[in-house]
Amino acid sequence: MAKRRLSDLRKAQMRAGYLFVVPSFVLYALFVLVPVAITIVLSFTYYDISFGADWVWFENYQRFFGESRSITIFWNTLRFAFFAVTGNVLVGLLLALALNRAMPGWLLYFFRLAFFLPVIISAAFVAVVWSYFYAVDFGVINYYLNVLGLPAVPWLTSSKVAMTSIVIMDVWKNTGFFMIILVAALQGVPQPIMDAASMDGASPWRRFSRITLPYISPVLFFCIVFATIGALQVFESITILTGGGPGDSTRSLSIYLVDEAFGSFELGYAAAVSVVMMLLVLIVTIIQLVGSRRLVEA
Amino acid sequence: MQKILAGLLLATAMVAPAWAQSDVSAKLRLMTFGGEAQVKATQDAIARFNEDYPNVEVELGVDPISGGWGDFVSRVLQQYNAGEQYDVYHTAVETLQSFAARDMFIPLTDFIEGNADFEDFDPKLFELTAYKGTTYFIPSTWNNIMTNYNRALFKEAGIDTPSKTWTWEEFADVAEKLTKRDASGNVTQFGYEVPNFFFGLMPWFFSNGTSPITADWTASNMTDPKVAETLQFLYDLIHVRKVSPQVGQEGVENQFFAGQIAMISRGHWIVQNAISSNLDMDIAVQPGRVNNNTVIGFGAYGISSKSQNVDLAKALVTELLSYETQVAEGDLGGAVPGRKSAAETEGFLKFPPSAPLYYETLPSTQAVPSPANFQEVDQIFMRYFQAIMTDEMSIPDAVAAADQELTRSFERLKRVTQ
Repeated sequence: MAKRRLSDLRKAQMRAGYLFVVPSFVLYALFVLVPVAITIVLSFTYYDISFGADWVWFENYQRFFGESRSITIFWNTLRFAFFAVTGNVLVGLLLALALNRAMPGWLLYFFRLAFFLPVIISAAFVAVVWSYFYAVDFGVINYYLNVLGLPAVPWLTSSKVAMTSIVIMDVWKNTGFFMIILVAALQGVPQPIMDAASMDGASPWRRFSRITLPYISPVLFFCIVFATIGALQVFESITILTGGGPGDSTRSLSIYLVDEAFGSFELGYAAAVSVVMMLLVLIVTIIQLVGSRRLVEA
Repeated sequence: MQKILAGLLLATAMVAPAWAQSDVSAKLRLMTFGGEAQVKATQDAIARFNEDYPNVEVELGVDPISGGWGDFVSRVLQQYNAGEQYDVYHTAVETLQSFAARDMFIPLTDFIEGNADFEDFDPKLFELTAYKGTTYFIPSTWNNIMTNYNRALFKEAGIDTPSKTWTWEEFADVAEKLTKRDASGNVTQFGYEVPNFFFGLMPWFFSNGTSPITADWTASNMTDPKVAETLQFLYDLIHVRKVSPQVGQEGVENQFFAGQIAMISRGHWIVQNAISSNLDMDIAVQPGRVNNNTVIGFGAYGISSKSQNVDLAKALVTELLSYETQVAEGDLGGAVPGRKSAAETEGFLKFPPSAPLYYETLPSTQAVPSPANFQEVDQIFMRYFQAIMTDEMSIPDAVAAADQELTRSFERLKRVTQ
């Protein structure tokens, strides 16, 4: 009898649980799962909005992996992600370490605000402003280089420099976000342990590598995954700064797929590009997850 | 008495259409584009239309064209698919083939021929809107690229006003004279700006008797030696004669308004900025190698093939293209009005001094190449153009690669057009 009452209760709880989950699951299915499924199906077709779809099976994927242009863009995306993630997280960590020390409260808040401010400014605005900084003939940076007697740098008009210029702007714009997260993580490192290590004669580097880093490693890992996913989808800053040029030297997968979908109306091919992009994000994230099991302290 | 009565009846019948109101009740949807001032001119036209059709509600949609014309085409296609299409679309030359190839608009050849009012428009404009011999769109306003120059800098350098037949060589010499450098060799004033957009570049190809794609817009023409010759000339302006800033920089147009660049290739759309910058500017024709042809792009009205109110839509388009609307648009300074009479008003001709040249050069214009894959052609061409101008690729390599990509794009396009 008692068992039956418990069973009814559990059933009621389960029903309530499902009812609570249903709205969010329906929304998730409607706005995530269904579009993903449609995108995957579209990627096997030649689709014209007026004339409908023709099955082309793997033709879109063959085109993607068969064209040197798309492979260049694929590597550009990885290259940008690697340098942007490294720059953002590393500079964010250095800033966090610099700010995680005793200083007057107003100064601390001033620095935090100063470094975080670029994060809340729209990427489009930031890119427009930086494009004026980077201009070869009339740019602010080259003006000062010229004053110092140094040659002008083709910041955005040379394929050898353009990607670096974009990464610099990206780090300036986003590193404050990681700084704030890492400052919070650093404040969670127990001070008595740090003090004990100091008393035992541990050097600052040893204290950082043996105590601080293991403590903040889960947060650091989150920062790396978060930055990677964002970097692999980079769009607006590159579009405004270089439009993907010179040539294709800074074009990312997301710019490429928008060009193909809404410029060339190659919706099937664009769907294939987005599937490749999704798999890329998935694979990189899995690699990071697997790697983190060894490196991140529980 | 009978004669007087008959005369009165006849006079009444003749005058009646001028003041008669239609009692037709319907709803029309109009999609347009443009800034606040253009939208105001459109709203005024709708108000005039409603004087004749008080029971016809006109819903006005304004597309910001923020993602370019390709994006606009995509949006219109989606509207058709969803059955949410507008009755009348105001669009641009870049989209015409994409729409016409899909039978999305009704042929307007008979409507145009049966309406004497359209004789005020230059026939050339209608020729440019035709697709496979049929006209689907009626041009509204247009822009042709002219050489805009700073008169004060010309006077300062002692250079005469450019003639209507000036050549590439004469132009390059003038650009050199207008380029100034400081003691350490840094340029402080450029003679010209090599355009960094497809529309702005076309006059250089047209004036050399060529184009990046064939005249019928169905294939690549990159391997024409004249294409490479034109690219070489533009490359030399930047790298050999050093009279132009490198392409791909922000704010170059502002440098022209600030007097740091002496010549720039733009359309009538910069006139208002030139006035507000107090720039002593005038216009000259495109310098020529084999001719002085330039490029033209235009806006145009089309009526949806799915419209249930075609006659009302035609009446609305007639009002949108009326003299009053065209004068209002012309005086705004955005583009040249399609009606010649509206481009001859005092308001339109007051600036720049050679403003009549806009209409005078119309016969020697060629439409901006706008096949159904326009957006892709634009992207491919500009990508390789920038690669050449920034020394990333040699001209022969870039031309060959662009030709290959354009050819593939036109092959894919056959799926839609055939």
